[in-house]
This record gives sequence, structure tokens and C-alpha cells, in this order.
Amino acid sequence: MNRYLMLGTLLVLAACVPKKVEEQPIMENNQRAGDASATIASASAQAEQNRANASAERGAIQAEALADCAPAVCDAVVRGEIALGMNEVQVLAATRTTEDAWSVRHSGPSLVMVPEDERVVPSDVVGNVAMVQLADNRVSRYGYSEAQGIRLVDEPFDATTEGRAQALAESLTREGDEMAARGDLDAALDRYDRVSVLTPEDPMIDYKIAAVLDKALRPYEAMIQYQLFLHRLNLETIEAEGAAAAQLAEAIALAQQRLVILERQAR
Amino acid sequence: MMKSRPLASAATILVVAILAASCSNRNVSRIEPDTVTDLSGQWNDTDSRLVANALIEQSLTDPWLSRYSNANGGDAPTVIVGDFRNRSSEHIPVSTFVNDLENAYINSGAVTVVAGDVDRDQIRAERDDQQDNARADTRAQLGQELGANYVLQGELQSIQDEEETMRFGATRKEQIVFYQVDARLVDLESNAVVWAGQHKIKKYIERKPFGL
Repeated sequence: MNRYLMLGTLLVLAACVPKKVEEQPIMENNQRAGDASATIASASAQAEQNRANASAERGAIQAEALADCAPAVCDAVVRGEIALGMNEVQVLAATRTTEDAWSVRHSGPSLVMVPEDERVVPSDVVGNVAMVQLADNRVSRYGYSEAQGIRLVDEPFDATTEGRAQALAESLTREGDEMAARGDLDAALDRYDRVSVLTPEDPMIDYKIAAVLDKALRPYEAMIQYQLFLHRLNLETIEAEGAAAAQLAEAIALAQQRLVILERQAR
Repeated sequence: MMKSRPLASAATILVVAILAASCSNRNVSRIEPDTVTDLSGQWNDTDSRLVANALIEQSLTDPWLSRYSNANGGDAPTVIVGDFRNRSSEHIPVSTFVNDLENAYINSGAVTVVAGDVDRDQIRAERDDQQDNARADTRAQLGQELGANYVLQGELQSIQDEEETMRFGATRKEQIVFYQVDARLVDLESNAVVWAGQHKIKKYIERKPFGL
């Protein structure tokens, strides 16, 4: 009996023994923690070497790009902006990059330059460049990666401020339409408002703003916007030809109809 | 005569005690900053140094640098130091290792560092002042600031575990403290994290009774 009691006591004691940490220390007092000077020195040497190589390469690219270029292209290279008609070297000079930044794919007489790494995209003064297409070693089309998606430039007008505003307005209108269809009327109104700043002469935007305000149960603002839309249009000059004119005529009819209803409600 | 003896003994003890107290054994010496000196077991200079060394090593040898450099004609990326939060239970000055990392970036030349928000306000005020008061050919130009490509952010967290055991009337205390420092570089345009560094420190602190 005593033997069992002793065994039980021993087991209980064994279970109560404090937990021990048996790991050996990896660093103790009076040792040295070291510093990162070797890493910094190595990174410094590497950075210096890279900078010298890149500087030499960029210098050669700039010289070649400006050696024989049309005045408009030379201006664009100096400004740091891609332009239609540039050759491959001039694109590198305009974007202040070297061949390392691009992945070049040939397809017959045309060539497409896309960023080597999608995470770090080359840019010019206008924005981040998504792609450059060259036909017969001349830039025929290029695209910027922008908030609303890729904006393509394939004619001189697209590269102007007006061209850019028009492209931006188109993509914002598309976004606004999607948001209105989703029922997010505030977001749609925000997009249409931005479009109306970019293209103030577009009557269809006034109509869209009016329609969204109408749906959002803001009748007074909707009335003003419908009136603005109708006022802007010179009804007599509208020719009922083509799909665009038909769409505009339909919008006019709807606006007039809603205006009558809203004015009646207001009374 | 017999009574004066205890009085004399007490006076002697008092004098000895005063002398002992006045000659306290304080010893201050300069030692190498990279010497490991763990006293209480709390976060100290060695931990800060270890974290700095690890983050510098990880950051300066990671491919994010060459990726940026290749895409930008050999230019160095520009970094701004953002928030580094201490989420541990201790008061830890995180700027010691953050400054070490910032200094490593600057001294290596591999990364350009631009002034953070607090410094920037002071510099802008000085530049504005120059526009009114400095000679025209010595004025710092406006609109020439470098925009940062990446922001350095991070946090420090700690986990503690401890246990006290009584043996023969004495208390034995064991404590585990775990620190984790995370740093990341975030692309200011895309919010993509281009580099993430981490360092972990685990300490076992044992307080034995009577030095046993």
C-alpha cells in the first residue's frame, strides 16, 4: 500500500516539475552585435558601378537620338515625351531609359516595346508608358497606363491636351454609365460632373446628369439640367440622320417629357 | 561607565554606515556600442542594432533595387520614411533602427531618401522665406522637390509569456519575450509592396532566487 502511495506522490511531483528551456543562447553578454557596414559598402560599390554604366549608356543613347531627328521629334526627346515618328533609340532617350527597361517583340516589320517588369513601368513626362509600337522603325502607336485604363495615342491629336481630355472624358463617361446602371447614382454623377469640366460643349453629358439627378429624386436640379440641355441644343440645326442624331433626338424628346412632368409636380 | 559601551558601539556602527554609503561603488566606463549588454531583459540597444543590421541586409540585397534601377535608366529609387509603429507593450524608441536603415540607404547611394513630413514643413518654410529675403542668385528654387516612389512603413510587436514557481519558499521567475519587427516598402502609385523585411528576436529571461 505504502509503495503505491509513494509511486503516486512521485508521479504528482514529476507532473509539477517546472518546465525547462533547454535551448542554447545564440548571443550572450560581452559578445559583439556587429554592424552593417560591409553590406552598406558592398551596396554602395554596386550602386556606383550601376550608375556609371547607366550614365554612359544613357549618354550614348541621347547623342544618337538627337544626332539626326526632325525638329518636332527632337523637341519631344528634350522634353522627355514620346511622340509619333520616333525611332527605338529616341523612345529610350525620351523615357530616360536603357534597353534593360523594355521587352522588345518583333513581328515582321513592326516591333512592340512593353515594360520588362510590370511592377516598375517606364514613364515619360506625360505618364507611365504601357506599350510602344513601331512600324518600319517609327513609332506608330503608343499607350499610357492611366487611372481609367490604357490610353492609346495613334494620331497627333491624341497627344495634345485636347486629345487627352477627350480620351479621359470618354473613359469617365463609360465609368459613369456603368455606375448608373449599377444604381450607384452619386458615383455616376461624380464621373459625369468631371466629364462636363473636360468637355463642356457636349450636350449628352448635360442630359445624363439631368437623368441621374431625376432618378436620384432631386427634381429641381434635374429640371435646371434638362433646361440647360435643351437650351444648349440648337434644335433647328439637328439633322435627323445617323444613329448619333437619332440618339440626341430621343434624348431631347425624353428631356422635354420629363421637364413637363417635373414642372407640373413643382406646381 | 558600563552604559557608555553600547552607546560607543552604536556610534561606531553609524559612522561606518555613513562612510559606506558615501563611498558607494559607482563605476562608469565607456564601452563599444556594439557590445551585448543585457541587464533587465527588456528591449535595449543590442536589439535595435540587430534589427537595423537585419533590415539593412535584407533591403539592400533584395532585387527591388535592381528592378527599379533597370526600369529607370540606372536611377536610384526615392524613398520617404513613413510611420513605424510600436505596437508592443514596452516603450521602445523605434527611430533608432529606422534611422540606421535610413542612414544606410543614404550612405550606400543605392536609394535616395527625401525628407519626411515634419522636416519637410521646416524646409519649405525656409525656402519660402528665401523667396522674400535672399539674394536672387542664391534663392532655392520652388517646385524642385523630388517626389518619392516608395514609402517605408513598419511596425514592432511583442508577445510575452511568464511563469513563477515557488520552491522551498523562494520564487523562481521565467519569462519569454518575443519581438517581431516588420518593415515594408510600398509603391506610392500602386500601393504594391515591393519589399518586405522582417526580424524576430526571442529572449529567455530567468530570475533565480538567491542566485541559484
